[in-house]
Amino acid sequence: MNRWRVIIDTDPGVDDAAAILLALASSEIELLGISVVAGNVGLEASVRNACKLVAVARRPDVPVYAGAARPLVRDQVFGKYANVGAFSDALVPATDVRPRQLSSVRFIADKAREAAASGHKITICAIGPQTNIALALLLHPDVAAGIEQIVVMGGAFSALGHRTAWSEYNVHADPHAADIVWNSGVPLVLFPLDVTMQALFSEEDFRGFEARGGLPGKCLARLLRAYDRSDIARYGRPGGPIHDAMTVAWLVRPELFQGQMTAIGVTVDGPTAGHTWADFYGRSHHAANAMVMKTANEAGFRQLLVERIANLGANITPAGENAA
Amino acid sequence: MEKTRIIIDCDPGIDDAIALLAAFVSPELDILAITTVCGNQPVETTSRNALKICELGARADIPVHAGSHRPLMRAPIRGQFHGETGLGSCVLPEPAKKIEPQRAVEFLIDRLLRAGNERQPITICALGPLTNIAMALRIEPEIARGIERIVMMGGAYREPGNRSMTSEFNVLSDPHAAHIVFSSEVPIVALPLDATHQVILTPAHVKQFEAVSGRISQAVSQLMASWDRNQVERYGSRGGPLHDPLVIGWLIAPHLFETRRVRVFIEYQSELCMGQTIADWFDKSGLNPNTAIVTKVDAAAVIEVFLDRFSRYQDTVMQ
Repeated sequence: MNRWRVIIDTDPGVDDAAAILLALASSEIELLGISVVAGNVGLEASVRNACKLVAVARRPDVPVYAGAARPLVRDQVFGKYANVGAFSDALVPATDVRPRQLSSVRFIADKAREAAASGHKITICAIGPQTNIALALLLHPDVAAGIEQIVVMGGAFSALGHRTAWSEYNVHADPHAADIVWNSGVPLVLFPLDVTMQALFSEEDFRGFEARGGLPGKCLARLLRAYDRSDIARYGRPGGPIHDAMTVAWLVRPELFQGQMTAIGVTVDGPTAGHTWADFYGRSHHAANAMVMKTANEAGFRQLLVERIANLGANITPAGENAA
Repeated sequence: MEKTRIIIDCDPGIDDAIALLAAFVSPELDILAITTVCGNQPVETTSRNALKICELGARADIPVHAGSHRPLMRAPIRGQFHGETGLGSCVLPEPAKKIEPQRAVEFLIDRLLRAGNERQPITICALGPLTNIAMALRIEPEIARGIERIVMMGGAYREPGNRSMTSEFNVLSDPHAAHIVFSSEVPIVALPLDATHQVILTPAHVKQFEAVSGRISQAVSQLMASWDRNQVERYGSRGGPLHDPLVIGWLIAPHLFETRRVRVFIEYQSELCMGQTIADWFDKSGLNPNTAIVTKVDAAAVIEVFLDRFSRYQDTVMQ
């Protein structure tokens, strides 16, 4: 079987945690490393969270790198739960796993350049602000050639009003970086809010993670309960989305999602900075640069996540935990 | 005397070449490396030119690291007065010296981190667009501790722009990079057009340089002659402004320059005023000064300093 060679670029984050655990649970994916970026929370807390997650999955061999501490150009904005900072030890146990010395940016650039030379290209799941990836693409002209695709969680076309009235958080946090990445010539697969909000997880799923997923499942269930993502007014039914995990799910079960090739872009400056557009009706002269995902099989995605977390956690008992 | 440790980040470029040649023979300066950037020419060309200038100046011992291949956000613009090779009518042999394997941004990060840890901070002479320095600052903000100051040629404050109505070439080439550098809190000394237009290298000066420059006199005369803007209406005489060499001039003879400390802002959102440098002369922003802007230069004395430096090429021998 041909395994995807993947770097997850992330700002964990609860739904980032689900994405990372899903990747670690999936034999279709060789996880080369986790590159961390400041986003939902500050860089230091994000790095600590990433380290805790690989530890919980008993995969300290997967290297964690610390990257950009702030956006390229604009002032820093954090996510909804920025004040919470790192996951508490009660939610996800403490670990002595530490990040590597090298910057995320150089890790991505080095891996991509190696891939360009060897022909074994890498895939990047971009589930935070795209600052690290933009800097890596700027670092060397041959970085782009080593990247098979970038699977982005970001943007919103009709599902607006997430972080601001006009933008989704990951793009809003660093529109300049998104602009660089989206115009880099690297093939993009985009999961905007329009599709990530189609699959809602609720208590039934959390119980599934908890009952079958060992320590990783317990941690994920605790995180999802502690940081409630439901919004009845918005979704019209119970449950909340796990945005970032869809990028990883697409790599292992692409048939769960349908999309359309189209041109996409981002507004970098002005009062609507971070606004994203998609040319679904061919009204611009821009060439298609992204597969924009439009529909998700909710039941299939929920089942995939529960089953994979169960596989991952089957042999990882919470025995090491004080609270167990 | 302790030498000033410098890294020269440049895009040669005729005036960059003159600046490098002046720095090579200045005993006050310890040139740790040259880093190149996309600017007057693509980075492949500016890198090759840097190698050629090192060999011309018998300083093949200085490592040259090739840097950013494009500005952060905008399409590259090219210099208009540097000819096809970037060195005007000066044709130099293809260099035997090679570019270092490590690229400029990674070199800057590693070297400046070390400088910070050793408490031996380095002065960066920025003669081109600020892309490399901005990239390094964003990838590894800790490098700021390893930077003594950035002495940069660029900007236009009370003087109009030279590449657009409002903007000077180096800042206009990568205004986002300039914004990153000017908001980094690293101390900056700026030599804008307001300063460099005070020092016009006239045809009479070129003859003087040709006369003193020993074994490099032909190359110097060709470089300098190619620099003549032939625009008396703007510059008051024949000749061209001595932009980049003034960075070296400030380092070796700071008493010939008057500066004023102010807060500087970079316009990177307006197409009309893209790359404009804005100085807070009268404290309207309420923010601390981040830049010492050179406002006045003793032009005659600076030319004398450079003539003295170029005369040292009479003594140097090829390595």
